[in-house]
Amino acid sequence: MTAAHALPSQASIIIVGAGIQGLSLAFNLTELGVRDILVLDAGYWQGGASGRNGTLIRGAFSSPEWTRFFAHSCHLWQGLSKRLGENVMYSRRGYTMVGERSSTAAMLDRTLQVHRECGINSSLLTATGLREVLPALAHERVSAAVHLPDSGVAPHHAAMYAYRQACEARGVKIFYRTEVTAIDQSAGRISGVRVGEQRIATDTLVLAGGAESNRLAQLAGVPLDGYPMRLEAMALEPMRPLIGPAVALLDRLCYMHQTARGEVVGGAEVAERAQHTLNADVPVMAATAKAYLEMFPQLGRARILRQWAGLVHISKDFGPLLGAHQQLPGLFISAGWCYGHAGAPAAGELLAKAIVSGEVDERMRPFAVDRFERNQPVVEPGIVLSHFE
Amino acid sequence: MIRLAHANPQVLEFFWNGRRVQGRQGESLATALLANGIRTLAWTRKSHRPLGYSGSYVAGVLARVNGVPNVRLDLLPVTAGAKVDMQNCWPTPALDVLRLSRLIPASWIQGGFEHTNLVPSGSALFQRWEALLAFLAGSAKPPERIGQIAVPMARRLSADVLVIGAGPSGCGAANRAAAAGRSVVLVTRGHGVARYAQSFGTPGPQLDERVQLVTGVEVFGAYREGELLLGAPHDATLGAVALEADEIILATGRRACPPVVPGIWLPGVMDARTALLMAHEQAVAPGVRVVVVGTGDEHAVAARLTELGVNVVAVRPVAQLHRVEGRHRVKAARFADRVACDAVVHAGPWLADASLSFQSRADGLLQLREVRDSRLHTVGSAALADEPLPVATASRHAALLCPCFDVSCHEVQALVEQGITDLEVIKRLTSCGMGPCQGQPCWDSLRALVSARSGLALSALPRPTLRPPRRALSVAQAAGLVDCVEPLQ
Repeated sequence: MTAAHALPSQASIIIVGAGIQGLSLAFNLTELGVRDILVLDAGYWQGGASGRNGTLIRGAFSSPEWTRFFAHSCHLWQGLSKRLGENVMYSRRGYTMVGERSSTAAMLDRTLQVHRECGINSSLLTATGLREVLPALAHERVSAAVHLPDSGVAPHHAAMYAYRQACEARGVKIFYRTEVTAIDQSAGRISGVRVGEQRIATDTLVLAGGAESNRLAQLAGVPLDGYPMRLEAMALEPMRPLIGPAVALLDRLCYMHQTARGEVVGGAEVAERAQHTLNADVPVMAATAKAYLEMFPQLGRARILRQWAGLVHISKDFGPLLGAHQQLPGLFISAGWCYGHAGAPAAGELLAKAIVSGEVDERMRPFAVDRFERNQPVVEPGIVLSHFE
Repeated sequence: MIRLAHANPQVLEFFWNGRRVQGRQGESLATALLANGIRTLAWTRKSHRPLGYSGSYVAGVLARVNGVPNVRLDLLPVTAGAKVDMQNCWPTPALDVLRLSRLIPASWIQGGFEHTNLVPSGSALFQRWEALLAFLAGSAKPPERIGQIAVPMARRLSADVLVIGAGPSGCGAANRAAAAGRSVVLVTRGHGVARYAQSFGTPGPQLDERVQLVTGVEVFGAYREGELLLGAPHDATLGAVALEADEIILATGRRACPPVVPGIWLPGVMDARTALLMAHEQAVAPGVRVVVVGTGDEHAVAARLTELGVNVVAVRPVAQLHRVEGRHRVKAARFADRVACDAVVHAGPWLADASLSFQSRADGLLQLREVRDSRLHTVGSAALADEPLPVATASRHAALLCPCFDVSCHEVQALVEQGITDLEVIKRLTSCGMGPCQGQPCWDSLRALVSARSGLALSALPRPTLRPPRRALSVAQAAGLVDCVEPLQ
């Protein structure tokens, strides 16, 4: 990592947000031959959702739109260390979706149908199969489980380090603790941004600011669907491997995995008032602990090292908002990410292509920024998240 | 002898790594093992350096007790027949092949096992490599499968005034509030009031009988702008406690932090509070030849230790300590001269634990910063300014900054030389402070080191976010909070 240098006065493309979305996009733009890329971030390296997420990489969902997109991303993760020249530690350890209610079992049945249509490697686990994959699970509580053997996890610190190194090696200029305070337009299109007094000229601007996305869109004077949402997670003290794959406990809105350094990291969601802060609260920790205790009784005596909160940007249908903003030429959006860590390699690749060639990939098209105006939301029933507004 | 004359005569036998050892009634397991000359209780995660009972690094007292991993030996009393086993050894503590990991060059495992390009993901070997890393990093075997664990139900406690810490200042504040006719809850993590003061031989304060005293509960987190505090008993079969009050008084005192000098992590180094409590309450000396260093009260601490029967061989200011010598345990303290010893007790530098105050004041969307006035009033020594941590000049001697994760001073210095001084970034690059201590005390050591090497003032180097519950709460205890703390609506 290089020390800070002076802000340039112009750039071919400015990306606001140096989380995994911004960095993946910058990397992919360099691969397409774009130079003079500038990435600005108001926070610190890994300070946003890209450093606070559960690091799970899920390559299939319950809708064909999500499944096609994330299957591609999962495929890219598998070759990412080689491409970036740094170890992203993608662990192809599998991802198990566990249902407890019978209605969830029915949903998982329909999910398998979608996977078959999309050519996904997945299977409904038998009782014996589940015991092999997750011996520590309280099997008597499970109604159905679907296993994705190609999915897994990648520690966010390894991925963020790798992307940053790869970007900087290719000449991308990245500035943290550098807040964009204004977005300039002239003749009805993007003309630059301001950082305090300093103006930086550009004709292409990408907003990849996570929870700050609505505020950034306001600076650009354009509408953007979605709102910031706080999620919480916690880490248990390390122990030797007990839980193999990544796990989603669908009926508890809980996800978890055991990291390569032995900590069980995960979180759940509870119905509560929206809180716009990075402060953690008690109910999510309690609900996550209850889920662990009931589903993995051996975790009951483990101690909790730390808990934390992170902010993501959530769209009406929970899907990403990806592509050109129809109302302002030169403005592109990468927002609405609640599975942004998993989706970053694909999002970066497809959005870079759209920016450089104008060609919108079929896997990206359903997540167009203006889909709600066209009344075409993407319905995805298999995510571990809920609107509790 | 390390066991002092006033030791409890009642002997209790227990097992350390399958070997029979004798403790005394009233001793903690850590104290009893020290009294048996067993100083190494744990190994650091990566390099397998020995760790012991220090009062500073909790990783040094974690072991498996009766099949439960990661139990704090300093908080668990000796019981007859207890089976205590060392962790992070394979296949057995006696024949520990993992100790060969000491031969791995430090540069290969900087920043955790994971920042390595030796075996990149995507290669055929990676899954096996990761499984090996996870085995090594996990340190402790998971507990046996024993069916469902009972959920200890949490309880709520509220009062007009809540006082945290039962030293003389906390007791004084509680008594004054009670005398003014207010309902008072006084919470201490100790088993009684003013233990440190009493270990000095001064009588403990009289507590007003109207004060509700809650002992053995560590208050570990402040939530909802300080409106709600959580505490938990160390005994994980007992429920957590949710605390609320109109007025909250922090009387949590200060703790002696280890100075940033080579060898400070060696078994045999102990903070003054731990050493005095152990000598006074449990009649065990920190060593046979003890050196006391400090920031002003080293003479008082040494005099009291001597009175309790401890053999103190030297008393010096902590700033004069260059390093602690020894490979596996303390052999000498190096000042301008060399003092042979087997224990170094440090009375200071004294720093307050900033966690609760930070959590009650912090807010932010990009980073948690102390932005609001705290609802928590700090009294007593906790309100005093932190003392500076002495930092030894750079030398060839290995100085561990964060022993739990084997983060060395050299590793941090190399980052400072690249211009990286943001402690949040250094934390993510090195894993410093992400072990069982959760940055206590190593984020203070990290600040002091980065400040000394970069020339930046401490005020320009905020600590990484102080996150609860810092292993004060078990999963089962947390599950017991579900019906106790309602989500905000």
